[in-house]
Amino acid sequence: MDLPGYYEYYCGVKIIAGHDALEKIPGILQDLHARLPMIVTDKGVAGAGLVDIVLGAVKDKLTIGAVADDVPPDSDLRVVNRLAALYREQGCDALIAVGGGSVMDTAKGINIVVSEAADDLMKFSGAGALKQPLKPLIAVPTTVGTGSEVTLVAVVKDHERHLKMAFVSYFLLPDVSILDSRMTLSLPAAITAATGMDAMTHVVEAYYGLSKNPLSDATALAAIRLIGGNLVKVTKNPTDREARLAMANAATLAGMAFSNSMVGMVHTLGHATGSVCGVPHGVCMAILLPYGLEYNRHKREDVMGELLFPLGGSDVFAAIPREQRTGRVIAYVRQMNQDLHDASGGRHARFFKEVLDRHGKPAVPRDRLPDIARTALGDGSIFYNPEELDYDDFLMVLEAAWEGVALDPGRIRT
Amino acid sequence: MNNFREIKSGSKPLKQAYVALMLWFVGRAIAAAARVDEAVKAEFDGLPPGFTFSLGVMPQGPTMIVGKDAQGLVKYLGWDREGKKIDLQMKIKNLEGAILMFTFQESTAVATARNRLIVDGEVPAACAIVRVLDIVEVYLLPKLIAKLAVKRYPDWSFGEKVLNRIRIYAGAVLGL
Repeated sequence: MDLPGYYEYYCGVKIIAGHDALEKIPGILQDLHARLPMIVTDKGVAGAGLVDIVLGAVKDKLTIGAVADDVPPDSDLRVVNRLAALYREQGCDALIAVGGGSVMDTAKGINIVVSEAADDLMKFSGAGALKQPLKPLIAVPTTVGTGSEVTLVAVVKDHERHLKMAFVSYFLLPDVSILDSRMTLSLPAAITAATGMDAMTHVVEAYYGLSKNPLSDATALAAIRLIGGNLVKVTKNPTDREARLAMANAATLAGMAFSNSMVGMVHTLGHATGSVCGVPHGVCMAILLPYGLEYNRHKREDVMGELLFPLGGSDVFAAIPREQRTGRVIAYVRQMNQDLHDASGGRHARFFKEVLDRHGKPAVPRDRLPDIARTALGDGSIFYNPEELDYDDFLMVLEAAWEGVALDPGRIRT
Repeated sequence: MNNFREIKSGSKPLKQAYVALMLWFVGRAIAAAARVDEAVKAEFDGLPPGFTFSLGVMPQGPTMIVGKDAQGLVKYLGWDREGKKIDLQMKIKNLEGAILMFTFQESTAVATARNRLIVDGEVPAACAIVRVLDIVEVYLLPKLIAKLAVKRYPDWSFGEKVLNRIRIYAGAVLGL
């Protein structure tokens, strides 16, 4: 094992996972000395009946102070302040975030405002600004990709000032995360596929990235095994409760891995594509992941080859010679995208030119690729990528990912 | 608690002096490279007028400060933060981490990956400055050592590299 000379790892979140884990919420809050939580969620989650499931699980044992169900897709400063005011008005003393990344980030933002008695969230942006524990926060993820339920980061936008503020602190980690299969049963096939590949990207990039360490490796390998065995299965059969729970566990393990060893160029380009063209993050991750493997292959051949063991199983791993394993891993990831495309009735995109916006038009016009490449140059995740990338490299990768062809090894500068 | 005697860390004057010298030289070399190398110039062109950044060692230095004036000229501004508005602060957490970086036992990328740096400021600007540092290191160091410091050694022509290297060294040492 390639042991780093120095590394840091932390995950201070209690995880409760099971088919009926939600029922534990009243006892958890009691242990945290809270009695009146506010539920933070969004219209989609509430409309799918997931908040009702949470309320049903805690009925008779817990009083809910307020249910705020209008968190927008991008966390926003005004929403944070408004919901913090609601929290205070209702005399709440804890938060339960039920949703995906945006809901989690909003709940973390609210928690800063109400715990610090702050009037300006901006004072706490950046790393290390928070100095004391916040109010109890329980995370109930309803997607299987972001890993926000175990990350120490919150991103909140300020639309008025066109700012995207990042808050980084161990105090932002939820006290408890609850993984319950009922929370993802209604997730549509295409979103299941894309968010599952987001989790896959977290672990693959964590595993071959510059900040990899033995503890992030352990969680990454466990997550890959679960994703490899369950993502296509659950996309084909969304009501498979066992597979749903397995994917919820995988996403959390992936969150633990990447929040301690960071991500690389797949996220760099994915963030930029999302920013320029508005493509959902998971879709970008699914399309770009094979290219991250191909581009960095010459630097991380052995490490990448190890991924064949959790993906293909011991027999396949043993049968494939060492020098061919990375190639098989890349082929496996591409085949997963194809299988997810088939399982979702063609809605899971395999390359950028087949990604459509809500009006059915191409979401990533080819002439926007230079803009995406320029935007990528300013994304911090690139620090953790094994190989260097400049504008020309980003553009080369984007063009291949747009067309859906493998990278030409002769064009990768070493 | 008050009965405990405060133990101050050793001063390590030789290591302090070495890192201070390296920072002084790299700071002046960055200013020279911004006049000589097109890629470095382009990176600074993308930063706003008056942009100033520092690279230093916690808790009390040494530090180097480089800034771009209103006319776009990049200058080495010394080590004293007093009275200067620093847009981007890159701080190495301790002297030993700085020694690892400046003796090239750890590349900038590996030092970042090992959480030895704190970046306070806009991330896109930090990305640009890291690219500038990488280019300057390639000019200042022999290839064998520079390859340890950067992720990918650039494939510049021999003539371009030698000519620019002479100009950057002259600029850094003599202020030309």
